[in-house]
Amino acid sequence: MTQKELHNQRLLREAERTVMHMHTRRHFLKESAMGLGALALGSFLGSCGTPAPGTDVVFDPAHPLLPKLSPFPGRAKAVIYLHMAGAPSQLELFDYKPELMKMDGQDCPKSLLEGKRFAFIRGVPKMMGPQAKFTQHGQSGAWVSEHMPHLATIVDELSFLKAVTTDQFNHAPAQLMVHTGSPRMGRPSLGSWVTYGLGTENQNLPGFVVLTSGGKNPDAGKSIWGSGFLPSVYQGVQCRSEGSPVLFMNDPDGMDRDLRKASIDAINEVNRQEYAEYKDPEILSRISQYEMAYKMQISAPEVMNIHNEPDYIHELYGTKPGQACFANNVLLARKLVEKGVRFVQLFDWGWDSHGSDASLAIDVGFINKCRQVDKSITALILDLKQRGLLEETLVVWGGEFGRTPMMENREGKKMPFKGRDHHTEAFTIWMAGAGIKKGFCYGETDEIGYSTVSGKVEPFDIQATILNQLGFDHEKFTYQFQGRPFRLTDTRGKVIEDILA
Amino acid sequence: MFLSIQEFFGHFHPLLVHLPIGILLTGILLQWLSHTEKFKQVQVAVPVVLLCGMIAAFASCITGYLLSISDDYDKTTVSWHQWMGIGVAVFSLLLFLKVSKFSIPVNEKILAAGLMVLIFVAGHLGGSLTHGSDYLTKPLADVFGKDSVPDNIIKPLPNVQEAYVYRDVIKPIFQTRCYGCHGEKKQKGKLRLDDSLMLMKGGKDGKVIEPGNAEGSELIKRLLLPVDNEDHMPPKEKPQPAESQIALLKWWISQGADFDRKVKDLHQPEQISPILLALQKENVPEKKTVDFPEEEVEKADGSVLEKMKQQGIVVLPVAQNSNWLMVDFVTDQEISNEVLHWLPELKKQLIWLKLAGTNINDSDMAVIAQLGNLRWLNLQNTNITDKGLASVQTLLHLQYLNLVGTKVTLQGILQLRGLKSLHSLYLYQTHINRSEWPALQKAFPKTRIDSGGYLVPMLVTDTIVEKAKKE
Repeated sequence: MTQKELHNQRLLREAERTVMHMHTRRHFLKESAMGLGALALGSFLGSCGTPAPGTDVVFDPAHPLLPKLSPFPGRAKAVIYLHMAGAPSQLELFDYKPELMKMDGQDCPKSLLEGKRFAFIRGVPKMMGPQAKFTQHGQSGAWVSEHMPHLATIVDELSFLKAVTTDQFNHAPAQLMVHTGSPRMGRPSLGSWVTYGLGTENQNLPGFVVLTSGGKNPDAGKSIWGSGFLPSVYQGVQCRSEGSPVLFMNDPDGMDRDLRKASIDAINEVNRQEYAEYKDPEILSRISQYEMAYKMQISAPEVMNIHNEPDYIHELYGTKPGQACFANNVLLARKLVEKGVRFVQLFDWGWDSHGSDASLAIDVGFINKCRQVDKSITALILDLKQRGLLEETLVVWGGEFGRTPMMENREGKKMPFKGRDHHTEAFTIWMAGAGIKKGFCYGETDEIGYSTVSGKVEPFDIQATILNQLGFDHEKFTYQFQGRPFRLTDTRGKVIEDILA
Repeated sequence: MFLSIQEFFGHFHPLLVHLPIGILLTGILLQWLSHTEKFKQVQVAVPVVLLCGMIAAFASCITGYLLSISDDYDKTTVSWHQWMGIGVAVFSLLLFLKVSKFSIPVNEKILAAGLMVLIFVAGHLGGSLTHGSDYLTKPLADVFGKDSVPDNIIKPLPNVQEAYVYRDVIKPIFQTRCYGCHGEKKQKGKLRLDDSLMLMKGGKDGKVIEPGNAEGSELIKRLLLPVDNEDHMPPKEKPQPAESQIALLKWWISQGADFDRKVKDLHQPEQISPILLALQKENVPEKKTVDFPEEEVEKADGSVLEKMKQQGIVVLPVAQNSNWLMVDFVTDQEISNEVLHWLPELKKQLIWLKLAGTNINDSDMAVIAQLGNLRWLNLQNTNITDKGLASVQTLLHLQYLNLVGTKVTLQGILQLRGLKSLHSLYLYQTHINRSEWPALQKAFPKTRIDSGGYLVPMLVTDTIVEKAKKE
């Protein structure tokens, strides 16, 4: 071995030792304490090196939220997703089944129960007819029950999907399914995908805002607006529903705006040095988050404050400034979209009408829930319309599954109130605006609303349609993770062409 | 049982055929190379490679034969492909024997050249069988702008009632959805739909059409099976007929599957009439880009775009691979005169402009007037009045105009009567009187005018809170 070769070998050994040193346990722990966990970091670093073929999205960690291009011109610029957490009964709202009335109180036919599993129904339940009066509305003749009298006046703006199905009969997995395309945690949510793919127009506001009401977060927790394996900057930013939507927006006493700016600059400088050493793109995301937080102090108070809205707008929406209520969130959603926020996600809890107590009874609590949302949702559609925003804003309303045509009999016993169990085989979701047909109804269920007859769609199809309206082919919109490209619709999904105008 | 094993091996043919092509061509290449000084030593490998290629060629012949009897392809092409394939096998055997020093009275080079020709011809014919004979030339036809009207578009009928049921209504459905596999070229399942006699005769499992009994006809049954079902037709990867087309087929069969009568001679149930009527309309394939121009435009000046981005203005093409631009002043609401004058530099590309909430005023509108390609203009909540609106007259392509919250009046809007493409006009909170709306709608008969001011009146029930009834 020559002198030179020996020297090279020594150099190589030294380099290897340095690398090993960098990965000692202590260093590993330091790394994980620093950010979002070394494991996530490792997989993330591994995944951002090689973009998958067909992925058109470029991720710039320094400016993660700058507006980006969609593969083809989208009809929608923004999305407002209204999720009624707990799953509203389609049989008391949109899916009118007079035949079911005739079976009211009878034992459920064996054929409907064989080989089926329900969340709570055991043995042979009784059938329960529609607990609402239905009439046809608008030129489209859509059936809407008496529980949503306001929405009934605008059915000619909506496209109903009457035959939605899912394969999850518990709230959390079903909600994850609707919003992340997988019943298990860990996938990015719809809003995260959208902001990852399109960024957001207004750099002074978050791109993906989440607003909750009903006194409880949805069962699936914050994972349904999580960013999964996408960079964490794309997770939904949850704003408070009571009081000031974002905390600490105002400068604290004794600290003026300049001092605040100086401290953010200092923090960012430290972060930049950290980035120079470790090259973790999450650090860049963090820097941009700090910068956005500073900019939000200027623009967010104005947008997030519904107190300044004129009285006729409060009357239109039925808002109650200062209180926590769904209507406030709906108005906020319109204001955010108007200011260039890409995705606004509303969750309203309390639709799980099992009949176990009055607030969850089909003939009591459910009616109250309907009244809480009916006016404001109607106002949202009309307000977007009169501002010319409905042409470019996609509005989606729905739950995570439907409710059974049978009356619930938890553990085989009679319930204290009228209620329906979770039902996966047929429920209703509606969409409006941004290139969706007006006054249209797609899909049909059988005469008791138990299963679908035609036009069956699943959450993947709805996700594919939403992405399509935003200018994405859901099959090509992927993110490389764990060695393979992932997409929101996994291996499924078909754009529901029939409801596109 | 025998048939399925035969089919099983037959299906290996498309996989196996690639082996002899590759191996034999490698063998010939090695053989030629071995004549040169540099690659002399590869000579020993030539017989082994050719032997492998030959075995693969024979295996391909056998599986190919099995495939040809179990599947239904165009008979003449199959026969040519078959003989060329056998030729490849025979020639590869001869060449192998020759290089292995057996005495064959043919020159080695001629054998090799002949083998190559056979490989190419057999390979091409095989490709034509699986992908269709125009598979290679189609992209070329597209490049040279040849008239490549997709055959899946059905031409509208001038008068559907006078049309012939089979020839004009039913046949085009078969033509666009079925002939590919059940036509002149292929007869999968021994079924041929392009000939009325063959159609009625059915396929290897018997009749597919029972006149007068649509639900009982195999053809309809297969169409209605779930797409994932193995027996569903057309196969799930192929284009599927529309629901209305299936309804037409059902109707035709239930009316006796007649080949000679006109539409008006048949009974037309309620649900069929609108579908028939729809055949008269031009069925334009759905466009993804409704509001954006079809043609392309040259790239905008990059330096201008950069300047604008530095200013915090959102300026973006409307999509990837497009040069059409949209500009949004969402975070830069105080537009300086300098910034405003950058816009005309983008006048060719700019089709979408949002000035909502900005300080733009009537005198600035002269600049906006130069942006002749604008499709979409949002002037919501600005200080524009009728005077500034006069400039909008020149924007002849304008489709969407948002004037919500401005001071424009009826007179101002009437100046825009020349904008023939205008389809949406938003006038909420403008200075237009209630009494003037009818006149406005009359002046813009083709435009959707939104006056806004919607109310959602409070209902008695809105304030009632339901309580549990005492039992």
